[in-house]
Amino acid sequence: MSMAYRTLETNETYILQAERVKKQNRKKSFLKGMLFLLPSILLFGAFVFYPMFKTIYLSFFLTNAQGATTVYVGWENYKALITDPIFMKSVKNTFLFVFYTVPTTVVISLALAVVANEKLKGIGFFRTIFSSTMGVSVAAASVFWLYLFNPTMGLLNKFLEVFGLEAIEWLTDPKWALLAVSATTIWMNIGFTFLILLGGLQSIDSSLYESADIEGTGYFYKLRRITIPMLSPTFFFVITVSIINAFQTFGQIDILTQGGPANGTNLIVYSIYREAFVNYQFGSASAQAVVLFILILLMTALQFKLGERKVHYQ
Amino acid sequence: MKKKFLSILTLGIILLLTACSGNAASGDSSENKESAKKGEKQVVTFWHSMSGAGQETLNSIVEDFNKSQDNIQVNAEFQGTYDEALTKFNAVAGTDSAPTMIQTFEIGTKSMINSGKITPIQEFVDKDKYEMNGLEKNITNYYSLDGKFYSMPFNSSTPVMYYNKDAFKAAGLDPEKAPATFEEVEDASKAITKSNPKMKGFALQAYGWLWEQLLANQGALLLNNDNGRTDTPTKIGWKEEEGKSIFNWVKNMVDDKTFANYGTNGDNMVAGFLAGDVAMFLQSSASARDVIDNAPFEVGIAFLPHPEDKEREGVVIGGASLWMIDGKPEAESEAAWEFMKYLQKPEVQAKWHVGTGYFAINPAAYDEKVVKDAWSEKPQLKVTVDQLQSTKSSYATQGALMDMLPEGRKIMETALETVYNGGDVDKAYDTAVQQFNEAIQQANKARGK
Repeated sequence: MSMAYRTLETNETYILQAERVKKQNRKKSFLKGMLFLLPSILLFGAFVFYPMFKTIYLSFFLTNAQGATTVYVGWENYKALITDPIFMKSVKNTFLFVFYTVPTTVVISLALAVVANEKLKGIGFFRTIFSSTMGVSVAAASVFWLYLFNPTMGLLNKFLEVFGLEAIEWLTDPKWALLAVSATTIWMNIGFTFLILLGGLQSIDSSLYESADIEGTGYFYKLRRITIPMLSPTFFFVITVSIINAFQTFGQIDILTQGGPANGTNLIVYSIYREAFVNYQFGSASAQAVVLFILILLMTALQFKLGERKVHYQ
Repeated sequence: MKKKFLSILTLGIILLLTACSGNAASGDSSENKESAKKGEKQVVTFWHSMSGAGQETLNSIVEDFNKSQDNIQVNAEFQGTYDEALTKFNAVAGTDSAPTMIQTFEIGTKSMINSGKITPIQEFVDKDKYEMNGLEKNITNYYSLDGKFYSMPFNSSTPVMYYNKDAFKAAGLDPEKAPATFEEVEDASKAITKSNPKMKGFALQAYGWLWEQLLANQGALLLNNDNGRTDTPTKIGWKEEEGKSIFNWVKNMVDDKTFANYGTNGDNMVAGFLAGDVAMFLQSSASARDVIDNAPFEVGIAFLPHPEDKEREGVVIGGASLWMIDGKPEAESEAAWEFMKYLQKPEVQAKWHVGTGYFAINPAAYDEKVVKDAWSEKPQLKVTVDQLQSTKSSYATQGALMDMLPEGRKIMETALETVYNGGDVDKAYDTAVQQFNEAIQQANKARGK
């Protein structure tokens, strides 16, 4: 009896001890984990989280030209944004810009990637050419296009002239400016999108095509039934990143149009820049930045929700 | 495995990208500590915004100064446009990376004073018993506030009208008599476009500075309370007919199809002029040298036009001045002051005027031989000086003072561009006025007073 009791007791102490050890171990591994994460936590904290919270903080204040807060205004900066025709226009422009650039970029890049995926002699050369715009900086590409669009000596208008068409005011006509900036952006983004899509194509299991060949299916049937579904995770990635990129376009706008004509190409990020560094209204600029953050967050969440269902993972 | 990888990659990129928006702290540090050690020279860091011909001439002036004595070494650093330089300055103000002196455009005057990061030049003037009276009166008018100088005037220009004399001849117009009023400009534009359908008559860059000048030339104020010189402005200062006259003038030419639209891009406008696409345009006299040297035809320079029913009031000083940054060692500031004084010397100003088209802020420079030679060779350079000296001194031509002026310029540029593209004058004008007033109120509110 007493023996049994004792065993029970030792058992209990054993369990207790074991739990204590477990707890200690957990604590230890937690600390160890934190130690591994520390560098990135520090970096993210300094360069991501701190600026983010500071932006949110600033959006409730008015500031002086140095960005120091002067007057607390609560939600007023946000309320003003909703009624501000310039900001609303920039939101509309941004959505239009996304609509113009993202689908076109993906379709063109896919076409190029499918062509470049063929195993032909010298295909490496074309792959390099197609992805080459990735190596061109936004500034360089914009300046290059600025010359193409130049009203006096621009190549594009010279072409139109050859065909007897009237010259187009690419960057100063509100009907054309956003399209012109979009064309520049599409050209710039093709390189990256092409490369990712080509990578996706090359990782598709060739046995699928072999079985299809045995079945005697045609080229476009294979494209539709094998290539596109197998490529869907890559599509999902490329589209998400492109949309976010488009939302944050700045360089081309600054160099090509400065938001003009009459705010016709004023996208949200450019509007934030102008509010903060031309008008020195850091408060309302921060409010715009927060709105942009929420917009992108929502768009991405929506994509994950809707898009991921259709994505076929291998 | 792949699924996990891709979603992590996607998420990571989202985080990175979203994080990048909004924070653009810059950390340009001056690299002059080394050079300070080796010679016993006092180093002065000078931030400026001169590019093109202006930068070349400025660099050569700085070099002359460094060679002229052994104690001070001035390092001139180009920091982008005035807007960009001001942004950088605001980011480093109060730290060791701040420059000793900075060049800032005229409309930044008020925000520099409000920043509290500068030492008024008046302190050095008083200590040194320096005579500011020798400088051009119209310039000292702009930069003195209640009899106190906050910054040292340096590069000043006025807007002028450039025109293609050859095109005038071809259209049967007198190339020596440039159109002086809005109405004459319209008529000349029609004649030019008629004689050469490929050439437009007139171009006005959508540039807020030109709008301000066209207002001042009618004697109109930009802001109330005497352009903000007697009290903080609370709303716009011009009357409706004064503001609308400019819009209607442009609108008439747009309707006549004699107007060339280059939007906000001044470089394209000049390129268009040089290529013979447009016969007249308004621009700062600072470009005079560049335009005259590069044009394959004879370039005429004339006064800024004004509406027929208004007398010509004159122009506001445009350009920039030099600011002494607060909190630097005394020896460094003193050295910068020496350099500022050097820049005012007649021979230096003569070189500056001839090399750029900015006028000499020290009128004694006009007696220098360099200037006389240049004037006899390129008489157009003299027009800008004449225009300034025939300007009537009033609140309108003294120019406006307010910290929201850069924002105001953008508002007017948008309105002008709307009209260039066939927008309705009344609507564009009313929107602009409303936004302008709101910007003034917002700026007053943000100051917390």
